[in-house]
Amino acid sequence: MNAGFTTLSTELPKTDPRVKLLNARIKKEHYRPDALIEILHTAQNAYGYLPLPVLAHIARSLNLPPSRVYSTVTFYHFFSLKSKGEHTCLVCTGTACYVKGAQKILDEIERQFNLQPGQVSADNQLGVAVARCIGACGLAPAVVIDDEVQGKTEPAAVIEKIHSKTGKP
Amino acid sequence: MTTITIQVNGKQLATEPDKTILEVCRANDIEILTMCHLKGVMDVGACRLCLVEIEGINKLLSACTTKVAANMVIRTDTERIKKYQRITTELFFAERNHVCSVCVANGKCELQQLGYKVGMDHIRYPFLYPKCELDSSHAWYVIDHNRCIMCTRCVRVCNEVEGAHNWDVMNRGTQVRVISDFNSPWGESVTCTSCGKCVHACPTGAIWPKAIVQGQLEKKPGIINELVEKRKMKL
Repeated sequence: MNAGFTTLSTELPKTDPRVKLLNARIKKEHYRPDALIEILHTAQNAYGYLPLPVLAHIARSLNLPPSRVYSTVTFYHFFSLKSKGEHTCLVCTGTACYVKGAQKILDEIERQFNLQPGQVSADNQLGVAVARCIGACGLAPAVVIDDEVQGKTEPAAVIEKIHSKTGKP
Repeated sequence: MTTITIQVNGKQLATEPDKTILEVCRANDIEILTMCHLKGVMDVGACRLCLVEIEGINKLLSACTTKVAANMVIRTDTERIKKYQRITTELFFAERNHVCSVCVANGKCELQQLGYKVGMDHIRYPFLYPKCELDSSHAWYVIDHNRCIMCTRCVRVCNEVEGAHNWDVMNRGTQVRVISDFNSPWGESVTCTSCGKCVHACPTGAIWPKAIVQGQLEKKPGIINELVEKRKMKL
Protein backbone atom coordinates (compact mmCIF):
# COMPACT_ATOMS: atom_id res chain seq x y z
CA MET A 1 0.00 0.00 0.00
CA ASN A 2 1.48 3.36 -0.96
CA ALA A 3 1.11 6.83 0.55
CA GLY A 4 -1.40 8.05 -2.07
CA PHE A 5 -3.65 5.12 -1.39
CA THR A 6 -3.50 5.73 2.37
CA THR A 7 -4.65 9.35 1.92
CA LEU A 8 -7.51 8.25 -0.29
CA SER A 9 -8.72 5.34 1.79
CA THR A 10 -8.70 6.83 5.31
CA GLU A 11 -12.22 7.46 6.56
CA LEU A 12 -13.03 10.68 8.39
CA PRO A 13 -14.19 10.31 12.04
CA LYS A 14 -17.99 10.05 11.82
CA THR A 15 -18.56 11.65 15.22
CA ASP A 16 -16.78 14.88 14.24
CA PRO A 17 -19.48 17.60 13.95
CA ARG A 18 -17.65 19.10 10.99
CA VAL A 19 -17.82 15.77 9.16
CA LYS A 20 -21.55 15.57 9.94
CA LEU A 21 -22.04 19.07 8.53
CA LEU A 22 -20.06 18.18 5.41
CA ASN A 23 -21.88 14.91 4.86
CA ALA A 24 -25.25 16.64 5.28
CA ARG A 25 -24.31 19.12 2.58
CA ILE A 26 -23.08 16.37 0.24
CA LYS A 27 -26.37 14.53 0.75
CA LYS A 28 -28.37 17.72 0.17
CA GLU A 29 -26.59 18.15 -3.17
CA HIS A 30 -27.50 14.53 -4.04
CA TYR A 31 -23.81 13.55 -4.44
CA ARG A 32 -23.74 15.51 -7.72
CA PRO A 33 -20.17 15.98 -9.02
CA ASP A 34 -21.04 19.47 -10.31
CA ALA A 35 -21.85 20.63 -6.77
CA LEU A 36 -18.12 20.38 -5.97
CA ILE A 37 -17.57 24.11 -5.38
CA GLU A 38 -20.58 24.45 -3.05
CA ILE A 39 -19.40 21.46 -1.02
CA LEU A 40 -15.84 22.80 -0.87
CA HIS A 41 -17.28 26.05 0.49
CA THR A 42 -19.02 24.15 3.29
CA ALA A 43 -15.84 22.23 4.09
CA GLN A 44 -13.72 25.39 4.09
CA ASN A 45 -16.16 27.13 6.42
CA ALA A 46 -16.27 24.15 8.78
CA TYR A 47 -12.52 23.51 8.95
CA GLY A 48 -11.11 26.96 8.15
CA TYR A 49 -9.05 25.32 5.43
CA LEU A 50 -9.14 22.15 3.34
CA PRO A 51 -7.09 19.26 4.77
CA LEU A 52 -6.15 16.48 2.31
CA PRO A 53 -8.22 13.73 4.00
CA VAL A 54 -11.29 15.99 3.63
CA LEU A 55 -10.55 16.50 -0.07
CA ALA A 56 -10.16 12.74 -0.46
CA HIS A 57 -13.49 12.21 1.29
CA ILE A 58 -15.20 14.73 -1.02
CA ALA A 59 -13.63 13.18 -4.14
CA ARG A 60 -14.78 9.74 -3.06
CA SER A 61 -18.30 10.88 -2.17
CA LEU A 62 -18.86 12.78 -5.42
CA ASN A 63 -17.13 10.12 -7.50
CA LEU A 64 -14.65 12.69 -8.84
CA PRO A 65 -11.00 12.12 -9.73
CA PRO A 66 -8.69 13.42 -6.94
CA SER A 67 -6.76 15.58 -9.42
CA ARG A 68 -9.98 17.36 -10.47
CA VAL A 69 -10.77 18.26 -6.84
CA TYR A 70 -7.21 19.43 -6.22
CA SER A 71 -7.16 21.53 -9.39
CA THR A 72 -10.42 23.27 -8.39
CA VAL A 73 -9.10 23.99 -4.89
CA THR A 74 -5.84 25.48 -6.16
CA PHE A 75 -7.57 27.53 -8.89
CA TYR A 76 -9.72 29.61 -6.54
CA HIS A 77 -8.00 31.90 -4.05
CA PHE A 78 -10.87 31.48 -1.59
CA PHE A 79 -9.88 27.90 -0.89
CA SER A 80 -6.82 27.23 1.19
CA LEU A 81 -4.88 23.99 1.67
CA LYS A 82 -3.07 25.34 4.71
CA SER A 83 -4.57 26.43 8.00
CA LYS A 84 -5.09 30.18 8.19
CA GLY A 85 -4.87 30.06 12.00
CA GLU A 86 -7.51 29.77 14.76
CA HIS A 87 -7.88 33.54 14.72
CA THR A 88 -7.32 35.71 11.69
CA CYS A 89 -6.27 39.31 11.37
CA LEU A 90 -6.91 40.81 7.96
CA VAL A 91 -5.38 44.24 7.38
CA CYS A 92 -6.81 46.27 4.54
CA THR A 93 -4.09 47.87 2.42
CA GLY A 94 -6.36 49.65 -0.04
CA THR A 95 -5.50 53.23 -0.98
CA ALA A 96 -7.54 54.91 1.79
CA CYS A 97 -6.34 52.52 4.51
CA TYR A 98 -2.77 52.77 3.29
CA VAL A 99 -2.83 56.55 3.48
CA LYS A 100 -4.36 56.33 6.97
CA GLY A 101 -1.52 54.10 8.22
CA ALA A 102 -2.20 50.42 7.40
CA GLN A 103 1.55 49.87 7.12
CA LYS A 104 2.07 51.09 10.70
CA ILE A 105 -0.44 48.46 11.87
CA LEU A 106 1.37 45.75 9.90
CA ASP A 107 4.74 46.88 11.29
CA GLU A 108 3.38 46.73 14.83
CA ILE A 109 1.94 43.25 14.26
CA GLU A 110 5.31 42.10 12.93
CA ARG A 111 7.09 43.62 15.93
CA GLN A 112 4.69 42.08 18.47
CA PHE A 113 4.00 38.66 16.94
CA ASN A 114 6.86 38.28 14.44
CA LEU A 115 4.35 37.55 11.69
CA GLN A 116 4.29 38.88 8.14
CA PRO A 117 1.20 38.91 5.91
CA GLY A 118 0.39 35.36 4.79
CA GLN A 119 2.04 33.77 7.81
CA VAL A 120 0.52 31.78 10.65
CA SER A 121 1.98 31.67 14.18
CA ALA A 122 3.78 28.50 15.25
CA ASP A 123 0.96 27.55 17.67
CA ASN A 124 -1.63 28.07 14.88
CA GLN A 125 -3.40 30.68 17.06
CA LEU A 126 -3.02 33.70 14.79
CA GLY A 127 -2.88 34.18 11.04
CA VAL A 128 -2.10 37.53 9.42
CA ALA A 129 -3.28 38.48 5.95
CA VAL A 130 -3.71 41.59 3.82
CA ALA A 131 -6.53 42.53 1.47
CA ARG A 132 -6.41 44.96 -1.44
CA CYS A 133 -9.63 46.65 -0.34
CA ILE A 134 -12.45 45.42 1.86
CA GLY A 135 -14.83 48.14 0.70
CA ALA A 136 -14.84 50.02 4.00
CA CYS A 137 -12.80 53.01 2.86
CA GLY A 138 -14.92 55.35 5.05
CA LEU A 139 -13.59 53.46 8.08
CA ALA A 140 -9.92 53.69 7.08
CA PRO A 141 -7.71 52.24 8.37
CA ALA A 142 -9.77 49.06 8.66
CA VAL A 143 -8.74 45.70 10.11
CA VAL A 144 -10.90 42.58 10.19
CA ILE A 145 -10.30 40.39 13.24
CA ASP A 146 -12.26 37.11 13.16
CA ASP A 147 -14.91 38.52 10.78
CA GLU A 148 -15.32 41.61 12.99
CA VAL A 149 -14.47 44.89 11.28
CA GLN A 150 -12.39 47.32 13.33
CA GLY A 151 -12.81 50.75 11.73
CA LYS A 152 -10.71 53.90 12.21
CA THR A 153 -8.36 51.84 14.30
CA GLU A 154 -4.72 52.24 15.33
CA PRO A 155 -1.80 49.85 15.98
CA ALA A 156 -2.20 49.65 19.78
CA ALA A 157 -5.95 48.93 19.59
CA VAL A 158 -5.38 46.17 17.01
CA ILE A 159 -2.76 44.47 19.17
CA GLU A 160 -5.06 44.68 22.20
CA LYS A 161 -7.95 43.16 20.25
CA ILE A 162 -5.75 40.30 19.00
CA HIS A 163 -4.60 39.61 22.56
CA SER A 164 -8.21 39.49 23.77
CA LYS A 165 -9.03 36.97 21.01
CA THR A 166 -6.03 34.70 21.50
CA GLY A 167 -6.30 35.01 25.28
CA LYS A 168 -2.66 35.97 25.72
CA PRO A 169 -1.20 39.15 27.32
CA MET B 1 -25.32 16.76 -46.03
CA THR B 2 -25.30 20.42 -46.99
CA THR B 3 -22.23 21.87 -48.60
CA ILE B 4 -20.93 25.36 -47.94
CA THR B 5 -18.10 27.28 -49.52
CA ILE B 6 -15.43 29.15 -47.65
CA GLN B 7 -12.38 31.02 -48.86
CA VAL B 8 -8.97 30.29 -47.35
CA ASN B 9 -5.98 32.36 -48.48
CA GLY B 10 -7.90 33.32 -51.64
CA LYS B 11 -8.74 29.71 -52.49
CA GLN B 12 -12.39 28.58 -52.67
CA LEU B 13 -13.05 25.43 -50.69
CA ALA B 14 -16.21 23.34 -50.52
CA THR B 15 -16.85 21.83 -47.12
CA GLU B 16 -19.51 20.74 -44.65
CA PRO B 17 -20.74 22.86 -41.76
CA ASP B 18 -19.88 21.89 -38.15
CA LYS B 19 -16.30 21.21 -39.09
CA THR B 20 -13.60 23.36 -37.54
CA ILE B 21 -11.43 25.67 -39.61
CA LEU B 22 -8.45 23.52 -38.64
CA GLU B 23 -10.06 20.32 -39.94
CA VAL B 24 -10.95 21.95 -43.26
CA CYS B 25 -7.50 23.45 -43.72
CA ARG B 26 -5.70 20.21 -42.83
CA ALA B 27 -7.92 18.29 -45.30
CA ASN B 28 -6.93 20.76 -48.03
CA ASP B 29 -3.19 20.76 -47.31
CA ILE B 30 -3.17 24.27 -45.86
CA GLU B 31 -0.67 24.32 -43.03
CA ILE B 32 -1.78 25.61 -39.64
CA LEU B 33 0.67 25.37 -36.75
CA THR B 34 -0.67 23.74 -33.59
CA MET B 35 0.65 22.51 -30.27
CA CYS B 36 -2.34 21.67 -28.07
CA HIS B 37 -4.39 20.05 -30.85
CA LEU B 38 -4.31 16.26 -30.81
CA LYS B 39 -6.52 14.30 -33.13
CA GLY B 40 -8.81 12.06 -31.12
CA VAL B 41 -9.31 14.32 -28.11
CA MET B 42 -11.28 17.52 -27.52
CA ASP B 43 -9.83 20.85 -28.66
CA VAL B 44 -9.35 23.54 -26.02
CA GLY B 45 -7.61 26.35 -27.93
CA ALA B 46 -4.91 26.64 -25.30
CA CYS B 47 -1.71 27.15 -27.29
CA ARG B 48 -2.93 30.08 -29.46
CA LEU B 49 -0.72 28.98 -32.36
CA CYS B 50 -3.57 28.22 -34.76
CA LEU B 51 -4.90 31.78 -34.73
CA VAL B 52 -6.40 32.83 -38.09
CA GLU B 53 -7.79 36.04 -39.51
CA ILE B 54 -11.45 36.03 -40.42
CA GLU B 55 -12.87 38.87 -42.47
CA GLY B 56 -15.32 40.98 -40.49
CA ILE B 57 -13.93 39.94 -37.09
CA ASN B 58 -11.27 42.17 -35.57
CA LYS B 59 -9.69 39.70 -33.20
CA LEU B 60 -7.84 36.57 -34.25
CA LEU B 61 -9.68 33.32 -33.61
CA SER B 62 -8.24 29.88 -32.94
CA ALA B 63 -8.79 27.58 -35.92
CA CYS B 64 -9.16 24.47 -33.75
CA THR B 65 -12.20 25.73 -31.84
CA THR B 66 -13.92 27.88 -34.50
CA LYS B 67 -16.49 26.21 -36.73
CA VAL B 68 -16.66 27.12 -40.40
CA ALA B 69 -19.62 29.15 -41.62
CA ALA B 70 -20.90 29.79 -45.14
CA ASN B 71 -18.88 32.37 -47.13
CA MET B 72 -16.28 32.78 -44.40
CA VAL B 73 -13.15 34.50 -45.69
CA ILE B 74 -10.12 33.20 -43.80
CA ARG B 75 -6.44 34.07 -44.03
CA THR B 76 -3.77 31.90 -42.42
CA ASP B 77 -0.61 33.40 -43.92
CA THR B 78 -0.58 37.12 -43.15
CA GLU B 79 2.32 38.97 -41.54
CA ARG B 80 0.16 39.61 -38.48
CA ILE B 81 -0.38 35.90 -37.92
CA LYS B 82 3.28 35.07 -38.51
CA LYS B 83 4.21 37.71 -35.94
CA TYR B 84 1.93 36.19 -33.33
CA GLN B 85 3.14 32.65 -34.08
CA ARG B 86 6.70 33.81 -33.50
CA ILE B 87 5.77 35.54 -30.23
CA THR B 88 3.88 32.48 -28.96
CA THR B 89 6.77 30.18 -29.82
CA GLU B 90 9.27 32.41 -28.04
CA LEU B 91 7.06 32.55 -24.97
CA PHE B 92 6.93 28.74 -24.90
CA PHE B 93 10.70 28.65 -24.68
CA ALA B 94 11.00 31.50 -22.18
CA GLU B 95 8.37 30.06 -19.82
CA ARG B 96 10.20 26.92 -18.68
CA ASN B 97 13.68 25.42 -18.87
CA HIS B 98 13.89 23.93 -22.35
CA VAL B 99 17.41 22.68 -22.97
CA CYS B 100 17.30 20.71 -26.22
CA SER B 101 20.86 19.40 -26.04
CA VAL B 102 20.18 17.32 -22.93
CA CYS B 103 16.58 16.37 -23.73
CA VAL B 104 15.38 12.85 -24.52
CA ALA B 105 13.16 14.25 -27.27
CA ASN B 106 15.98 16.14 -29.03
CA GLY B 107 15.38 15.91 -32.78
CA LYS B 108 11.91 14.44 -32.33
CA CYS B 109 10.28 17.22 -30.36
CA GLU B 110 7.25 19.09 -31.66
CA LEU B 111 8.30 22.25 -29.85
CA GLN B 112 11.76 22.11 -31.40
CA GLN B 113 10.26 21.59 -34.86
CA LEU B 114 7.94 24.54 -34.24
CA GLY B 115 10.95 26.72 -33.45
CA TYR B 116 12.51 25.78 -36.80
CA LYS B 117 9.22 26.31 -38.66
CA VAL B 118 8.62 29.85 -37.44
CA GLY B 119 12.30 30.67 -37.98
CA MET B 120 13.05 31.46 -34.36
CA ASP B 121 16.70 32.59 -34.13
CA HIS B 122 16.58 34.29 -30.75
CA ILE B 123 14.16 34.87 -27.88
CA ARG B 124 13.32 38.48 -27.15
CA TYR B 125 11.78 37.81 -23.73
CA PRO B 126 13.69 37.26 -20.49
CA PHE B 127 13.69 33.61 -19.41
CA LEU B 128 11.67 32.90 -16.28
CA TYR B 129 13.90 30.00 -15.13
CA PRO B 130 11.18 28.59 -12.85
CA LYS B 131 12.18 25.95 -10.33
CA CYS B 132 10.47 22.86 -11.68
CA GLU B 133 10.50 19.33 -10.38
CA LEU B 134 11.22 16.05 -12.09
CA ASP B 135 9.11 13.13 -10.91
CA SER B 136 10.57 9.71 -11.59
CA SER B 137 8.57 7.87 -8.95
CA HIS B 138 6.57 5.91 -11.53
CA ALA B 139 8.02 2.49 -12.34
CA TRP B 140 8.13 3.03 -16.12
CA TYR B 141 7.71 6.73 -16.90
CA VAL B 142 9.15 10.10 -15.91
CA ILE B 143 7.52 13.54 -15.94
CA ASP B 144 9.84 16.55 -16.14
CA HIS B 145 7.94 19.80 -15.57
CA ASN B 146 10.88 21.80 -16.95
CA ARG B 147 9.92 20.65 -20.45
CA CYS B 148 6.16 20.93 -20.10
CA ILE B 149 4.38 23.55 -22.22
CA MET B 150 0.95 23.15 -20.56
CA CYS B 151 -0.76 21.99 -23.75
CA THR B 152 -2.83 19.64 -21.51
CA ARG B 153 -2.78 16.90 -24.15
CA CYS B 154 -1.86 14.36 -21.45
CA VAL B 155 -4.71 15.60 -19.25
CA ARG B 156 -7.26 15.21 -22.03
CA VAL B 157 -5.98 11.83 -23.22
CA CYS B 158 -6.02 10.46 -19.68
CA ASN B 159 -9.55 11.73 -19.11
CA GLU B 160 -11.21 11.12 -22.47
CA VAL B 161 -9.45 8.10 -23.94
CA GLU B 162 -8.18 6.17 -20.93
CA GLY B 163 -10.91 7.44 -18.58
CA ALA B 164 -8.54 7.41 -15.62
CA HIS B 165 -8.19 11.18 -15.06
CA ASN B 166 -4.90 10.82 -13.26
CA TRP B 167 -3.70 14.18 -14.59
CA ASP B 168 -5.09 17.64 -14.05
CA VAL B 169 -3.78 21.19 -13.80
CA MET B 170 -3.21 23.02 -10.53
CA ASN B 171 -2.77 26.71 -9.66
CA ARG B 172 -2.83 29.63 -12.07
CA GLY B 173 -0.56 31.80 -14.18
CA THR B 174 3.15 31.00 -14.02
CA GLN B 175 2.48 28.61 -11.12
CA VAL B 176 0.45 26.14 -13.21
CA ARG B 177 1.63 22.55 -13.12
CA VAL B 178 0.31 19.26 -14.39
CA ILE B 179 -0.46 17.17 -11.31
CA SER B 180 -1.18 13.55 -10.52
CA ASP B 181 -3.95 12.95 -7.97
CA PHE B 182 -3.46 15.30 -4.96
CA ASN B 183 -0.23 16.72 -6.34
CA SER B 184 1.33 13.50 -5.08
CA PRO B 185 4.16 11.57 -6.75
CA TRP B 186 3.08 9.84 -9.97
CA GLY B 187 4.26 6.48 -8.64
CA GLU B 188 1.80 6.75 -5.74
CA SER B 189 -1.17 7.51 -7.95
CA VAL B 190 -4.28 5.43 -7.34
CA THR B 191 -5.93 6.48 -10.59
CA CYS B 192 -3.04 5.95 -13.05
CA THR B 193 -3.37 2.73 -15.03
CA SER B 194 0.18 3.01 -16.44
CA CYS B 195 -1.29 2.81 -19.96
CA GLY B 196 1.32 5.17 -21.42
CA LYS B 197 -1.07 7.22 -23.57
CA CYS B 198 0.13 10.48 -22.00
CA VAL B 199 3.69 9.54 -23.00
CA HIS B 200 2.68 9.43 -26.66
CA ALA B 201 0.39 12.44 -26.41
CA CYS B 202 3.10 14.71 -24.95
CA PRO B 203 4.58 16.87 -27.73
CA THR B 204 7.86 17.51 -25.95
CA GLY B 205 10.22 15.55 -23.72
CA ALA B 206 8.16 16.28 -20.61
CA ILE B 207 6.82 12.73 -20.28
CA TRP B 208 8.98 9.87 -21.42
CA PRO B 209 9.55 6.17 -20.75
CA LYS B 210 12.50 5.36 -18.51
CA ALA B 211 14.24 2.88 -20.84
CA ILE B 212 15.26 5.64 -23.26
CA VAL B 213 18.56 7.38 -23.83
CA GLN B 214 18.98 10.99 -24.87
CA GLY B 215 17.65 11.76 -28.35
CA GLN B 216 16.28 8.26 -28.87
CA LEU B 217 12.69 8.97 -27.94
CA GLU B 218 10.11 7.90 -30.52
CA LYS B 219 6.65 9.28 -29.80
CA LYS B 220 3.57 8.25 -31.74
CA PRO B 221 0.84 10.83 -31.10
CA GLY B 222 -1.08 9.29 -34.02
CA ILE B 223 -1.90 6.16 -32.04
CA ILE B 224 -4.35 8.15 -29.91
CA ASN B 225 -6.63 8.88 -32.86
CA GLU B 226 -6.10 5.37 -34.23
CA LEU B 227 -7.37 4.01 -30.94
CA VAL B 228 -10.36 6.38 -30.88
CA GLU B 229 -11.31 5.44 -34.46
CA LYS B 230 -10.94 1.72 -33.85
CA ARG B 231 -13.21 1.92 -30.82
CA LYS B 232 -15.93 3.42 -33.01
CA MET B 233 -15.77 0.45 -35.42
CA LYS B 234 -18.51 -2.11 -35.24
CA LEU B 235 -17.24 -5.64 -35.47
